[in-house]
Amino acid sequence: MMSDQKKSDKEGLKALRQQRKASIERARKAIKAQNQNVKAIREQMKSGGKTIPEIAAGAGLPTDQVLVYVASLKKYGMVIEGPKDGDYFKYELAPK
Amino acid sequence: MSTKKTAETEEPRVGVYICHCGGNISDHVDVKKVAENLEKVPGVAVAHTNMFMCSDPGQELIQEDIKSGKINRVVVASCAPSLHETTFRGAIKRADMNPYLYEHANIREQVSWVHHGEAATAKATSLVTAAVAKAKELEALDPIKVDAARHATVIGGGIAGLRAALDLAQRGIEVALIEKSPFLGGQAANLERIVPTGERAADLIQDLAAKVMADSRIRVYTCSRIVKSEGYVGNFKITLKTQPPDSQADLEKLQEVAAKGEKPGRFVPFAGFLAVKVPTTASEQVLDSGAIVFATGFSTYTPRDGEFGYGQNPEVITLPQLIRFMSQEKSRGRSLTINGRTIRRVALVHCVGSRQIPGIHEPDADGGLNEYCSRTCCAATLQAASEIRERYPLTHVLEYYRDIRTYGRGQEEFYERASENHVMFLRYEPEDPPQVERLSKGNFPLRVTVKDTLTFGEALSADVDLVVLSVGMVPSRIADLVDMMKLPVGADRFLQEVHPKLRPVELANTGILLAGTCQAPMDISEACNAAAAAAAKATSLLSKGYVELDPFVAQVDLSRCKGNGACVAACTVDAIVMQTVEVDGQSVERAEVNPALCTGCGVCVAVCPENAIDVKGWTLEQYEAMVDAIVAD
Amino acid sequence: MEPSRELNFDALVIGGGIAGLQAALDLADQNFKVAIVEKDATIGGKMIRLSKVFPTLDCASCITTPKMAASAHHENISIFTYCDLTSLKRDGQEIKADITQMPRYVDADKCIGCRQCEYGCPVYVPNHEEGNFNFRKAIYIPFSNAIPQIALMDVENCSLCGKCAKVCPTGAVDYFQQPEDFVIRAKTAVLATGFKLTPMDQKPQYGGGKIQNLISSLDMERLLAPHGPYQRVIRPSDGKEPDSIAYVQCAGSRDKTLGVPYCSRVCCMYAIKQAMLLSGALPLADITIYYMDIRAFGKGYEQFFQNAKAMGIEFVKAKIAKIEQADNQYVRLRYEDQEGNGGVVEREHDLVVMSLGMVPDWNPAGVCDVACDTDAFIKSTIPSLAPTVTSIEGVFAAGVAIGPKDIVDTIAEAGAAAMEASKYLNALENPKAA
Repeated sequence: MMSDQKKSDKEGLKALRQQRKASIERARKAIKAQNQNVKAIREQMKSGGKTIPEIAAGAGLPTDQVLVYVASLKKYGMVIEGPKDGDYFKYELAPK
Repeated sequence: MSTKKTAETEEPRVGVYICHCGGNISDHVDVKKVAENLEKVPGVAVAHTNMFMCSDPGQELIQEDIKSGKINRVVVASCAPSLHETTFRGAIKRADMNPYLYEHANIREQVSWVHHGEAATAKATSLVTAAVAKAKELEALDPIKVDAARHATVIGGGIAGLRAALDLAQRGIEVALIEKSPFLGGQAANLERIVPTGERAADLIQDLAAKVMADSRIRVYTCSRIVKSEGYVGNFKITLKTQPPDSQADLEKLQEVAAKGEKPGRFVPFAGFLAVKVPTTASEQVLDSGAIVFATGFSTYTPRDGEFGYGQNPEVITLPQLIRFMSQEKSRGRSLTINGRTIRRVALVHCVGSRQIPGIHEPDADGGLNEYCSRTCCAATLQAASEIRERYPLTHVLEYYRDIRTYGRGQEEFYERASENHVMFLRYEPEDPPQVERLSKGNFPLRVTVKDTLTFGEALSADVDLVVLSVGMVPSRIADLVDMMKLPVGADRFLQEVHPKLRPVELANTGILLAGTCQAPMDISEACNAAAAAAAKATSLLSKGYVELDPFVAQVDLSRCKGNGACVAACTVDAIVMQTVEVDGQSVERAEVNPALCTGCGVCVAVCPENAIDVKGWTLEQYEAMVDAIVAD
Repeated sequence: MEPSRELNFDALVIGGGIAGLQAALDLADQNFKVAIVEKDATIGGKMIRLSKVFPTLDCASCITTPKMAASAHHENISIFTYCDLTSLKRDGQEIKADITQMPRYVDADKCIGCRQCEYGCPVYVPNHEEGNFNFRKAIYIPFSNAIPQIALMDVENCSLCGKCAKVCPTGAVDYFQQPEDFVIRAKTAVLATGFKLTPMDQKPQYGGGKIQNLISSLDMERLLAPHGPYQRVIRPSDGKEPDSIAYVQCAGSRDKTLGVPYCSRVCCMYAIKQAMLLSGALPLADITIYYMDIRAFGKGYEQFFQNAKAMGIEFVKAKIAKIEQADNQYVRLRYEDQEGNGGVVEREHDLVVMSLGMVPDWNPAGVCDVACDTDAFIKSTIPSLAPTVTSIEGVFAAGVAIGPKDIVDTIAEAGAAAMEASKYLNALENPKAA
């Protein structure tokens, strides 16, 4: 049985979704695009450590954008920094 | 408090907290490894690391372990205790544990900043292990509470001293304002107009000094010096000697004042505010004071004989001299005249006695160099330059500078105004300063030659009638007070604060505060801010009516003391006396410590043949435990 | 909407940066009750976001966090973060402040700062805290040593997927939170509203904000900070470790075309400090500082500058005329050579830092009728003898709110503002003694 509180929360959320329709739509689109980018970037690292230009070339994304993703994945523990290759560092998927 | 008792009686359970210091430590010390090593040390209940132990989450980590009963002793391994020992004691206190069940290990200044790699990790482990060994021996202590006099002594009657005295008085604190000369106003009395506000220095001094004289809570002691200082925060005893003025400068100023028929209560240009009648006999008195505010100010740098021709040519003067000449110059001609001499062209030289560089500049008689920038001279020089150009359009001005430092709001405008007034700027490197030579013939007395970096290092010569040296600030001569009160002085010879950001107006000597240019060069507004900040600190100290002192003082073990009195003789602050006590029905002499006077220096511990005296929180037993821990493996 | 509550304090401090914290501590230590109102979600201001500080090279956190923690735990200080000041006025014997608590969409009493929500949130959002060099989430804690450690939600970027509420162990997420208005009444106030950098994109000659690897000085602070976005210094355009880094001094100060005629006082010193830190982090890199005058005027600053010169940092006296994108994401600087052989010189660098100046962060118009100077900083009515006194009785100001200054000068001034405020309070209590 659903408590009254939960019921009203559910209705409230519904109303909130209606109210914030535009920003929610934007966020959903962003999530979709981001997930694709993250997937493409992670795909590049599956075969071993790669530099930002290498990942960018493989994933078909601009280098500056790839760096922002890689820095964030590193922050949230999904990527680690590997050895240096010339002027660039290699990035690897974090061991699970 | 019950927690204190349990902490003391229970088996020690030490919590060890190791700080990364955001990489300052962890870049060189493997902090995780240190934590692992410490976990194995007997008596250690937990060993944690944190990016910033001093941050709120870091402090909470410690507090949670205390509250959950995991630990009853704390060791933090981080930066120097001078920075954050009090931070962590405070955190422990808030968790309802005695703040003295705490030991600090310095693994930044003493480890990561001087060692690297495995050696660093090993030394850090060793220091933290020693701290744990001591922590296990710590006992709960209570701070010493002593009454504090609601009275402050301000030393120096310049702008900063006047500001501090007024602020303190307006918070209900009695103030003794001590000034060695007969005049209030200090160095500002030698100025005409203030940069950048254009206010007259005379008005500022008159305003402050009149308020000070009118305030019944402030007693002004001019012609007075401190000859003795004893005691500690809350209870300083300051002996003051007041005597008729004897310095040549003061006597000359007094003569001028008398010649003008000026009476006390008025500002006299280039002398100051004559506060009261000058004393005709010497007298001494003792003041009981809770805090001391240093506002001893600066003096202007005196160029060495021959420095830019100074002392060898009467046409080479300093900026304060120029300001004075110009204030007395009444002629309405289109050229500046000084002592009847028409000045067709004047050279202003910046950075004289400031920004000196080892290997380039000649040290003074004491072997010192003024490596600092004096901060105020650029704007003052530019103001003088524009004033010359605007009042005397036929007098040309050249400025020889290294960098123009018009940093304050409204100061940049003085730089621009000087350019608009066709002041000519030449820039020199410190290794190639302008050369001033005397001309034996021709129209001008002096020639200034410089390698001007703005015109590709070309040597440019200009013949001038006058050279003005923008002399910097040097700290006032207060070696007597520095020795008497054992004050910390920096490499720049100004008084040295505890930390420029954490405790900027405090000296390491508790209860002694800094106001204004005794600390570093400042302009008037900055000196007033510093003075007000010092007054705020003094008010915090004295407003409660008592002060709390750390309990790290000597303590006599009466079961061991045989009354030989070695400690009494050794004590440098007269904190130990012999008292007659009853032991086994007999009257015997035993040592007794006055905790308020004791500085915890430990000299008594070293001389006692019976090991009957110890400094609390730093006992021989605790030292032995630390040494044992260090040499254990 | 009627304010839900009214709170009374002795003193109200607007701004929880280093100036506000120091003023609050100095008042609280004199046993006055103080409220700090901060618009950001954390106290600490600009200083907590810096890497290290000149001239001691202490880590900024080592100096700021203890003052943040001391304020947060002081029995006489109450802190209100994420609050909007809508009005600050004298009301008879009091100062009345209308304040809106912005919704965090997280119950501050329930949140334990565990960051589970942040990890769970699926949306990546450019992280302004880190110069947009990495992402944060749509629900997040500003940074690891923020105070308070309470999450906040950015509803503009939230998809309302419900994941954060699901993973929160204390049920703290509250999608329905509303702004709450309240009033603070105090007898005195200190304005410590701080600064922002002169905008980067204002000067068309400097690329209008569109040049890769041209970053602001605060961006560089983040690159150098221990928590920084990359935890090392690399080029934002592609992750290359830079061989050559340059500083453009006075890039937003001493420039009438930007409406910033004054010197910002700190840029020379922070550039020198960053150059020193860079030469430690990247020992092989060439570092050049293009300057007009080096203004190292504080205690120990000139010595710091001379050390930097001795370390091999190159100082070139030049006003940079133009900044352009060069090939391979390099940045090209063009300037008139003032001291060498003359003529126009062009040089390229991997990474260029604009030493931006300071402008006030708060425009009191419509909120508070405190007088400001023509350069928009709050006007000091007794500039020489009591610089913290403003045009409103009982209202004082400290720090960059009344003009650019460094941390040392800010802390002294905050102490001075606290002194003025405490004298004012004392005079109210003892009218005869004043």
